[in-house]
Amino acid sequence: MNAVEVGIIRVTSSCKGCDHCTSICATGAISGEMGEKHHIDLKKCISCGQCLINCPFSAIEDTSMVDTVKRALADPDLFVVVQEAPAVRVALGEEFGLAPGTNVKGKMYAALRRLGFDRVYDTEFAADLTIMEEGTELIHRVFKHLGVAGFEHAGPLPQFTSCCPAWIKYAEDKFPDLLPHISSAKSPQQMFGPIAKTYAAQKLNVHPTKMFVVSVMPCTAKKYECNRPEMMASGYKDVDAVITTRELAAIIKEAGIDFVNLPDETADNLVGLSTGAATIFGTTGGVMEAALRTAYELLSGQTLGKVELHNVRGLKPVREATIDIPIKDLGRTLPVNVCVVTGIKHVDGVIEEVLAGRSPYHFIEVMNCPGGCVNGGGQPIRRDTY
Amino acid sequence: MVSILAEKGGITRRQFFKGAGVLAVVAVVAGVFAKIGIDMFKVSDDYIAKRAAGLYTLDEKMAIRKSHENPEIIQLYKDFLSPGEVKPMTEKAHHLLHTRYGQDIPALLEELRHYQGEAA
Amino acid sequence: MSDVKGKVLKHGEQTRTMHWLHLICFLILGLTGIGFYWNIGWINDLFGGPANASLVHRWTAVVFTAGPAIYILLNFERFSKFIDTISTFTRDDIQWLKTMGGYIPFLKGKVPPQDKYNAGQKILGWVVILGCLLFILTGFPMWLWRHAVSPAFLDFCYTVHFWDAMIMMLAVLGHFFLAAIHPQSRVEFSSMMLDGYVDAGVTAHHNAKWFANLSKLE
Repeated sequence: MNAVEVGIIRVTSSCKGCDHCTSICATGAISGEMGEKHHIDLKKCISCGQCLINCPFSAIEDTSMVDTVKRALADPDLFVVVQEAPAVRVALGEEFGLAPGTNVKGKMYAALRRLGFDRVYDTEFAADLTIMEEGTELIHRVFKHLGVAGFEHAGPLPQFTSCCPAWIKYAEDKFPDLLPHISSAKSPQQMFGPIAKTYAAQKLNVHPTKMFVVSVMPCTAKKYECNRPEMMASGYKDVDAVITTRELAAIIKEAGIDFVNLPDETADNLVGLSTGAATIFGTTGGVMEAALRTAYELLSGQTLGKVELHNVRGLKPVREATIDIPIKDLGRTLPVNVCVVTGIKHVDGVIEEVLAGRSPYHFIEVMNCPGGCVNGGGQPIRRDTY
Repeated sequence: MVSILAEKGGITRRQFFKGAGVLAVVAVVAGVFAKIGIDMFKVSDDYIAKRAAGLYTLDEKMAIRKSHENPEIIQLYKDFLSPGEVKPMTEKAHHLLHTRYGQDIPALLEELRHYQGEAA
Repeated sequence: MSDVKGKVLKHGEQTRTMHWLHLICFLILGLTGIGFYWNIGWINDLFGGPANASLVHRWTAVVFTAGPAIYILLNFERFSKFIDTISTFTRDDIQWLKTMGGYIPFLKGKVPPQDKYNAGQKILGWVVILGCLLFILTGFPMWLWRHAVSPAFLDFCYTVHFWDAMIMMLAVLGHFFLAAIHPQSRVEFSSMMLDGYVDAGVTAHHNAKWFANLSKLE
């Protein structure tokens, strides 16, 4: 609980008071006049880390759990499993001189094995699980909205995604009335934790108290999320420690692993297999696209020929699209209106429409960081100038 | 007698062009500097699209591209979450995979403790 | 000292006003800048805390920019002549640099006759013009566009502004030493800081070419 009290994001003494961060922060958590050391109000901070990756002086830092992870790896009694978010595999290589977007998935698995993790799984598996739960929840909400019997207990429409912990805290802090609209499905990271400590622990014959779940995330808010008091569905802390892409790169370098020349390996099976739908979770519009691929097939009973939904892609802060889904059980076609928001600054207008009951959408994806998790607060910091 | 010498007014062509030239150079330098700033700003976010493109390319290369076709997911439901079938949002899934927000968290904590007490 | 009698008007009233203004602004800017860059408590407290020191720094910078700009517009002739003088480097200037104007004891050699400004002053002129231009070009984006530009550009501006400040402070310290303290050249102090006049004898010695020119026109 200590980390929650201290906060995930802090301003260090290197702050020059340039005041750039106050324009980055969407919640007004950062205070300070130009010229003086700035301060982050932990009550308002959503731990997204955007100020951190945008600070010209690298004067903002996040709480590190690297030591905890190293201790766990060194402890022979602990069975340490690791999960990595989709956005990590296209950015980790940048810390080793590769171009942004280079896929280092295989090398990432290889490096984690060499670091001594007992099982290398993948958050993408949990992302697929999220789609199963969240997609089904959406179907239930749509059925309730259409007046189908048996779905009276489903929540209201539109449904918001729940994968982004910074977005969740933003909504909890600023729009408590909106919370019934947010999918009750946990984020992939927090789905992986309890599945690992129940299902995987059973199958592997490891006692859950001896299992240590580490996640590698492109995100600083995930550190906050894993410490939330309710994240103990398995009976234990579901995810024990979170490290960022930057921190993983630092650990790999410290261990002296020649990352670029590692062979490509695959994730361990059981809870490590993933699909393309889960891969695109790492970018804005990806959760929406993945959910629609599954929802379309489950509702229509037909196979989707072309799985790409290009109109939810892109980097525009607010994008919308309509997809006609034939619902087999009802014998009619429903035009599903979806909206994708990237950059939490742009979400307020969409929320106000929802609260006023004027929103035309069925499903809204919200990602705090501009561009989605690929540009998360835990990703390698880039200062491209040409 | 104390005489005072001072420069006379009026400037030569050469002096005028030198003065005006320096001002023009200042204007050009300012423009170039602004251009550097704008160019730096334009490319500063390019990496986001590149990383996103990396994920989309990876998606295209995957053998399975829809979540409900993931065999390990199907196995997880059949073995554990909804024994014998693939049925999301069962009671077990609800306890492990769903949560609540804001003011509902104390009640959720109570529920989780109760559930774990039963399971133990 | 010399057989030439009388006085020479070296710096006009507006030039002296501008110099004073620039000097005061430079001192305030330097002090506040050092104060909040290294977070030195007592300097910041002089101005009422780092936030206020920054505010003073920024508004002083406006005066620091606007002062010379207005001066140049009002005195374009003076400015053009100044640029002409400092942009003219002859063999005498090179020779002056080789002997360092006779200021350094072990550098022997005959110091050639100089124009209104000697080669060292000409270089200082360029350093000040370029330095101030860099201050202005990096400073205002840091203030006015701090929310709009990329972090890389802000970092670039801060770095350039900082090193510019370091060089300018050293240059101005040297300028101050030669113009106000060094016994051979402090006689010129009053011409810029007070009434604008220099002793004709001193001028005939230090700025022989310029003095010859003035005498010819007389």
